[in-house]
Amino acid sequence: MTLHLSHEQLCDLILADLSLQPEGRSWNDPNDLKAESNIVQEHLRACLVCSAELRSLRDSLSHFHDASVSYARQEFAQSYAQRSSIAPPHTFLSQPLYWAAAAVVFVAALFPLSMHRQRPVSPAASTVASAVLRPTESDEALLADIDQKVSADVPSPMEPLADPTAGATSTTSTSDQRTN
Amino acid sequence: MDSCSLACIRSRLSKQSKKHATGVWINVQAMASHAITSDTHSVTQQSPATPLDDMASIVATYEQRIFRFHLISIRDRDVAQSLTQDTFVRAWGARDTFRGDCSILTWLMRIALNLIRDHTRTDRFRFWKRVSETAVDVSDIASHVPHRDSSLESRLIASEQMTLVWESVAQLSDRQRSIFLLRFLEELELSEIASVTGLPISTVKTHLYRALATIRARHNATHKDPL
Repeated sequence: MTLHLSHEQLCDLILADLSLQPEGRSWNDPNDLKAESNIVQEHLRACLVCSAELRSLRDSLSHFHDASVSYARQEFAQSYAQRSSIAPPHTFLSQPLYWAAAAVVFVAALFPLSMHRQRPVSPAASTVASAVLRPTESDEALLADIDQKVSADVPSPMEPLADPTAGATSTTSTSDQRTN
Repeated sequence: MDSCSLACIRSRLSKQSKKHATGVWINVQAMASHAITSDTHSVTQQSPATPLDDMASIVATYEQRIFRFHLISIRDRDVAQSLTQDTFVRAWGARDTFRGDCSILTWLMRIALNLIRDHTRTDRFRFWKRVSETAVDVSDIASHVPHRDSSLESRLIASEQMTLVWESVAQLSDRQRSIFLLRFLEELELSEIASVTGLPISTVKTHLYRALATIRARHNATHKDPL
């Protein structure tokens, strides 16, 4: 029968803390601890099964530790970058839905502004335009009238009066013709 | 000092810390530094300074390590972020109770462990653990196994060994898993683990023996029956 290391002995080797006392045993004398350690080491040198299992378990635990640390470091860096950045990530920016939502929000923000501009501006603009155009038109008409009157050969008060009998003559002649 | 006293900042921190499900991350470091800046006078006048008053530097020093412990314990990225945040919020709120009889890391780990315990007790955690999209998959972490040897065979063996431990840890009880991670992930001494968990060293060691027995059994079964 081949004796191998007990589970506690193997665990103590993995824990690498031989100063701790295994349950049910007392190590009052440090020499006993040293002697136990020497026995374990000698057994490991002689027993390939125990040494191979110990090495394999140590490797497994080491890989677990290294991979966990590396993975956690990467995840922490990613979360830290997300927290540091106010803008959404680039992957999110590339989504069409994001751009569509942004366009809708932009249009929705502009719509009430344009409505606000059109309504009050149209009466005000017409009022201002009429207020500006009216004096201009009246001034031009007045000037044109003055020019016409000044340039006239005969002043209007001096013009011959229209013949008030012109209409009556034609009527009379017509009646004469009927009579005749 | 303005009217926004330490109690006001504490209430702000506690309110903000409840935003778990939304995944909103608060920059605890910035808030803590703001709190420290605005409360410098009250701290110095009302109570003696403690090492935890400089929360900004404590967050900068220990945040990654606390996050790592949460991430590997809970195996969910978002929950790990929230619990990391809560760890420092609680530490800030309870900094007056820190007596300095242990290291800051041990004290923070104790808070983190209590948060994990509270979180994993809830039924909601069991439900979301099954459906969460941010849960850590073993394939995610297997790609992080360091390749000291370039041969494909050694890479596969290393990945297989890591996967074996990863899956075995999931089978452990909550207490065994916590103690196992404190020892083999955070590499704390057994006395520090005893301080974090509040257990005697012999009990800590017993839990480690049992955790290693589970891993060893799985290990031997895999090697005897590779298929």
